[in-house]
Amino acid sequence: MMNRIGDWLDERLGWRKAWEAIFLRKIPKVNWLYTLGSATLFVALNQIITGILLTVYYVPTPDHAYDSVQFITTGVSAGWLIRGLHHWGASAMVILTVLHMLRVVFTGGYKFPREVTWITGVALLLIVLGFGFTGYLLPWDQKAFWATIVGTRIAGVAPGVGSTILRALRGGEELSAVTLARFYGAHVWMLPAALIALVGFHLYLIVRLGISAAPGRED
Amino acid sequence: MADSASHPESDSSPVPRRSFLGLAVWAAGGMIAAVYAIPGVAYLMGPALQKAKAEEWIPLGPVSKVEPGVPTLFRADVRRQTGWIVNDEQLTVYVLTDDGRSYIALSNVCTHLGCRVRWVEGEQLFFCPCHNGVFGKQGQVVSGPPPRPLDPYPVKVEAGQLYIQAA
Repeated sequence: MMNRIGDWLDERLGWRKAWEAIFLRKIPKVNWLYTLGSATLFVALNQIITGILLTVYYVPTPDHAYDSVQFITTGVSAGWLIRGLHHWGASAMVILTVLHMLRVVFTGGYKFPREVTWITGVALLLIVLGFGFTGYLLPWDQKAFWATIVGTRIAGVAPGVGSTILRALRGGEELSAVTLARFYGAHVWMLPAALIALVGFHLYLIVRLGISAAPGRED
Repeated sequence: MADSASHPESDSSPVPRRSFLGLAVWAAGGMIAAVYAIPGVAYLMGPALQKAKAEEWIPLGPVSKVEPGVPTLFRADVRRQTGWIVNDEQLTVYVLTDDGRSYIALSNVCTHLGCRVRWVEGEQLFFCPCHNGVFGKQGQVVSGPPPRPLDPYPVKVEAGQLYIQAA
């Protein structure tokens, strides 16, 4: 029965070819460090699922943000789990992305013909850091508030354009309701859109080019 | 095993290694999916499945305000918590007595789709503005779409004060 449905769909979609290209492709002899990218992708899926769930109760305004987060943590079934997964997943995301990048650097995986994969990967690292920076403000507690004061000030010391960057980040001179709303918008719409588009491209290139082999003694 | 030497791909095991590993991957994936799906559903449904708070007696006002034979409007202040927000809300109740001894208290919420009904003295009827539901003085349905009479509250009188029981 399942086979017949599979055949019916394959005739129309050609999904078996796509499945083979993605999951049954040949890979060179590599080691466990070559799974760091997949691990990052898995944590990214965790962030997407738990993040979508958190938006069901979270309200990004100064008078509700803190209370709604407390409500998620203590008032909703499994809310502590969903928030905890998102919180720890955020740290894991940054760590895994950096480790993945180091693996690519040390094994020379960025070389021809994979330069574009590398460039999209660097952009993805910046996006992940953007997620961390914008998400940190959202609980709207003391730590969130002062970390963002400091973070935006750091952006503000850039020569020449610093004060413009600071005002663009905060949406004005002060850290305010405007800042919280725009960080939320960046965190749940702009950055996810960029992330999904670039991850899709990154994965397309991996499927198209295959992964690099672990360098041998002569390399 | 002597047999496996002559047949490297022996058929002696009922499940070949390749399909066993494939199955194991699917099983692990299924378990991971369940780890997300089960708390996810609990998380989404949690507030919907929460039981209503215990009912308590809410003071309405002096019983002397009620004229026999006339549904009299009372407003009671109640504090309600929804999610993380505590709101002060008003319950609106019509209290009716015929003999000054037994009282009925009717909710002003139309039983059709929840609009608020209004007592019209000239017609001696409750009217709902939304879909022309009409109720009689005792809350019974007179015409229109309401499926049942206006909801009564349990009511009591203590030391000249009216109380209703509500959540």
